[in-house]
Amino acid sequence: MAVENLAFLIPVLPALAFVLTFFLGKKLPNGGSIIPITAIAISFVISLLITLKLLANPEEVVSQSYSWFAMLNIGILVDPLAAVMLTMVTFASLLIHIYSTGYMSHDKAPSRYFAETALFTASMLGLILSDNILQLFICWELVGVCSYLLIGFWFEKPSAATAAKKAFLTTRIGDVMFLTGIIVLFADLYKMFNGTIPDGVFILRFDEIFAHIPEIAAINSTILGMEVSHITLITLLFFGGAVGKSGQFPLHVWLPDAMEGPTTVSALIHAATMVTAGVYLVARTFPMFIAAPDSLMVVAYVGAFTALFAGTMGIVMNDLKRVLAYSTVSQLGYMMLGLGVGAAVGAEAVGISIFHLVNHAFFKALLFLCAGSVIHAVGTHDMRQLGGVAKVMPITAATMIIASLALTGMGIPGTSIGTSGFFSKDAIIESAYLFGESTGTWLPYLFSIAAALLTSLYIFRLVFMTFYGKPRTDYGGHESPASMTIPLSIFALLALIFGGLTAEKFNTFVSETFVNNFVHVDIHELATLGGYHLVEHAGHEPLLVLWMPLIVALAGLVIAYLVYGLKIVNMDSLVSRNNPIYKLLYNRYYQNSIFTNFVSVKVIYEGFAFAGRAVDRGFDWTVKWFSDLAIESGESLRQFQTGAVQNYATAVITGVSLLVILVKVVMEVL
Amino acid sequence: MIPVALYLAVAAVIFSIGLYGLMTQRSGIRILMCVELMLNAANLNLVAFSSYHDDLTGQVFALFSIALAACEAAIGFAILMALYRMKDTISLDHINILRW
Amino acid sequence: MMPILSMIVLIPLIFAALALFTKTKEQARVIALAGTVIVLLLTVYMYVNFDSTIADNQFEELAQWVPSLGITYHLGVDGIAMPLILLNAIVLPFLVLFTWNDERKSPNRFYACILATEGAVIGVFTALDFFLFYIFWELTLVPLFFMVSIWGGPNKHKAAIKFFIYTHVASLVMLLGIFGLYFAAWDMTGTPTLDIPTLISQFQFIESGAAKDMIFLALLFGFIVKIPSFPFHSWQPDAYTEAPTAGSVLFVMLKIGGYGLFKVMLPMLPFTASPNLMITIMAVLGSVSVLYGAFLALSQKDLKRMVAYSSVSHMGYVTLGAAGLVSLSVSGAMFQQFSHGLIMSVMFMSCGIIKNTTGTRIINDLGGLAQKMPKLAVIMVMTFMASLGLPGLSGFIAEVSVLAGSFVNLPSYVMIAVSAIVITAAYHLWALQRAMFGVYNEKLGTVTDIDTFQTVSMGVIAILVLYFGLNPSPVLEMMLTNSDQIVSLMAVMGV
Repeated sequence: MAVENLAFLIPVLPALAFVLTFFLGKKLPNGGSIIPITAIAISFVISLLITLKLLANPEEVVSQSYSWFAMLNIGILVDPLAAVMLTMVTFASLLIHIYSTGYMSHDKAPSRYFAETALFTASMLGLILSDNILQLFICWELVGVCSYLLIGFWFEKPSAATAAKKAFLTTRIGDVMFLTGIIVLFADLYKMFNGTIPDGVFILRFDEIFAHIPEIAAINSTILGMEVSHITLITLLFFGGAVGKSGQFPLHVWLPDAMEGPTTVSALIHAATMVTAGVYLVARTFPMFIAAPDSLMVVAYVGAFTALFAGTMGIVMNDLKRVLAYSTVSQLGYMMLGLGVGAAVGAEAVGISIFHLVNHAFFKALLFLCAGSVIHAVGTHDMRQLGGVAKVMPITAATMIIASLALTGMGIPGTSIGTSGFFSKDAIIESAYLFGESTGTWLPYLFSIAAALLTSLYIFRLVFMTFYGKPRTDYGGHESPASMTIPLSIFALLALIFGGLTAEKFNTFVSETFVNNFVHVDIHELATLGGYHLVEHAGHEPLLVLWMPLIVALAGLVIAYLVYGLKIVNMDSLVSRNNPIYKLLYNRYYQNSIFTNFVSVKVIYEGFAFAGRAVDRGFDWTVKWFSDLAIESGESLRQFQTGAVQNYATAVITGVSLLVILVKVVMEVL
Repeated sequence: MIPVALYLAVAAVIFSIGLYGLMTQRSGIRILMCVELMLNAANLNLVAFSSYHDDLTGQVFALFSIALAACEAAIGFAILMALYRMKDTISLDHINILRW
Repeated sequence: MMPILSMIVLIPLIFAALALFTKTKEQARVIALAGTVIVLLLTVYMYVNFDSTIADNQFEELAQWVPSLGITYHLGVDGIAMPLILLNAIVLPFLVLFTWNDERKSPNRFYACILATEGAVIGVFTALDFFLFYIFWELTLVPLFFMVSIWGGPNKHKAAIKFFIYTHVASLVMLLGIFGLYFAAWDMTGTPTLDIPTLISQFQFIESGAAKDMIFLALLFGFIVKIPSFPFHSWQPDAYTEAPTAGSVLFVMLKIGGYGLFKVMLPMLPFTASPNLMITIMAVLGSVSVLYGAFLALSQKDLKRMVAYSSVSHMGYVTLGAAGLVSLSVSGAMFQQFSHGLIMSVMFMSCGIIKNTTGTRIINDLGGLAQKMPKLAVIMVMTFMASLGLPGLSGFIAEVSVLAGSFVNLPSYVMIAVSAIVITAAYHLWALQRAMFGVYNEKLGTVTDIDTFQTVSMGVIAILVLYFGLNPSPVLEMMLTNSDQIVSLMAVMGV
């Protein structure tokens, strides 16, 4: 039996594991963690085998479709893009699950935890495997709801329940945009078929969508007085969804709060299963983006700005996990930028962006698991209370440093020596330079360079504050058990060498996603449609451009060492409420006050909803007015009923007399 | 022979007296008596027309009517008796529980 | 061939009469369960033998009744009615199970009311004669009125009378519409008939355009109030909130307004004098209902009232989808009725349980119930997610079909409805967070989790919500067949 036919098992097995663990987990040791681990391990093996097969022959992708209802289908598609994502997600999720058996061993509801993480993984795998946009959206939403359940895993904590709600609602804003994009796309395609869709044609399947890109691009509509091409509208709406899910500005606010869940959940969300979905969506629909005028520019700008913006907040946070959260936001900004520069480099953008996504998954999972290891051992995640942890937890500290080096992208340009982050992040920054050359807009490049400096600064600040120096409080930690340190070591190994091993092959492999037996897209033709001029990628950048990322990363390292390692600068004067810049950063640009307290509570809840209540009272009052009218007219009419027989008799006689006279008169006249 | 018009005139006078009484009196007994007057005026008409047309049907009807009037009077007086026992009055001004 | 439709209409009514004569709760509930289960079995039999590829009426029964006035005893089901009958037949046995251990006054009358409502509602869905249709239509009012006014909450009398009079007035306007259609057709053909399919097909031949529009609007008013749609919804929150749990569920099962929309309104729509105006009216009412209901739900403090307003919001999709006039949107709207019935019945059951165990439904007074009632929490989270339109659950299929389908013809109205999605998520999550999560409010005293009967009844319906969310075809297939037919009528008229 060919392994392709087992592809459907990749999401189905973890989904089954969810059901089994949910109902039986309580009766098994360790919350039944063995069920999801086995299921995900099998999924990983299948994904890996399919990936290897695709590597040999990237044009023969796996594609199976079944009719669902009406003109919609469910199906699976494993092309190079999906294959690498599948392998990465199953692998990272597998290691995180193994790590969790140690981490969650003291929790009171481990079976619920493992059930929910299994479903989380299943939804993400389903999302990656989707061969149509609607199924992708369905899994997308399931990912959202799983994150809701997992962030609120300790739901008895009010802050966790609030953070869960915030995460779900914020991403929901993006989801609505995504859904709107799908609706517009559906309506356009539906009109193209004149409402009669032949059997066997599923109009929301990617091949069908991509085949109609030129026709969609030809449709224009006027929105708020602006003439907008439908393809731009649709892609920007899709990107809105990605902004929500992948924590891009301005919908990134949920991601740092999402730390309320167990640390392993953060690792899952940040590395494997959730935030990468947005990047994947843009990568998956890349042919639409490149055919859409302006869309990729928006993607590049938002990505670059997010990378910088999140970095500034990362340098002032005192919570171990929050620093990592802002780091994720920042790195996701890089991935978006990597896709945005497709305006200059074409389909290769998908390759470099997904490459960074995969590398990031490894080192970010590692960072979180290290943080989890520290928190598990010492019971606090406030860096001001830590220090010198490296002495008690040598393995954790070593892996953490490797992860930090990978995050900052240390490596020697022009050679293939370097950490994973070096190969992908530098590629993005260099492409941003090409993008600047090609389009004449240099801001994304400048932002990405500045963000690289900040990245190095905040991560080494974290390292020096946590692992070196003297302990600031008496925490008494110990090294974590093997179930936790082994996944750490594996991730550390990958963070160190994965980039170097695969850099050559990866980009070309993933970039072949759009030419195979399922879809066949001419990226250059579509780029003309979108008005982009692609440049042939060649190493003709100035030498300084190649070295720049390394220089700023080292600069960050040095500054962090001087300030937090040697403490030659007294930070107390800077780190105070009196410093307006620090205050602004520490309060995270007052986003919470603006978005949560003002917009959601004041405007939406108190303003609109209560205005609605008043209007509703108005409707109720109108109805009551009618009933009062009826009652009052009855009140006045019943005065005629005196109850005295004489009055009735008089009325009868008067009436009869009048009638007789009337009849008489009428007869006379006629 | 007395012309039929005179019978009718007498009947009309009696009817009007009854009607006037019905509209002005307050006592239940008087009202009942007035109703009897009006009925008898109608009976007089029946008999008068009967003899005018030489047809006995009218007189038969008059007999029916008298019998009915007797029944009605019996029931009416019984109701008034019952009311009197309950309220110590038969003035219809005070018997107005159906009012409003 | 047995008269299966007469049986599923009459059996609940007969069992209702039987239940009235029982003396104890034990007897009454057994009678009720027996009646509803028999109906379920017959309905399943009917469903299995139903041909979902044709849009015609099936299992027809026809007998003369008052020939001089053209009144017949005519029953039949098509793809519009079948899923709704199925919905009633499925939910009612579980509703009886849900109330199995409740203590209340005069249980015999209580179960009689449940059974009578079932019979009357199924009667509306099967009647193919306006006379019969109207009888059943009004018959639904009676048991529901007593349901609210006998077993309801503190303001039960006001709510019951408001519900009765409001919807009764609407029914009378609808009756005027029926009369208008009846006499116009009688004038035209010379023979009186009250047969629904015949009258609908004769509607197009009526000469006067003004008369056509008046007839259409009168019927539309009757149906819209029953749905209920903004701005004629104000009877609904009071009635839903004051009704006992079983009464609220019965209200949710009362999908006769939307049914009328598909069965009577849409086939007539292309032949009105001004179809575009009518479409606009329906689209405005639908899309505004969606947004308006969502905002109102957000501002409620009482959990059950919030659910009631969310129902206004969800039923807005029905009107909007009907106005969308694309096969997908119309069948999505039909599916929304089906799915909404399932989801809302569990939501109202949850509200009832919370009120019974804690003594309050004010959301801010609750808190942390999930710790004490884990089973309820799981079911509640699932149905709340279904209600906010989470994919994989039945609400999503309906919403996405309505929105995507309607966008083809009515883009701006769809945008109004789409903007409500975030608000919908907000009030559901807000309520969940306050009521179920967070620190347990010790003032609530000791609470116990739901018992087996309640778990089973809510659990089974919740599983059906999941099933139809993953595989809507069993009911969506026949809806698509019928909406294809309706939409092809539109195409003929070039609407």
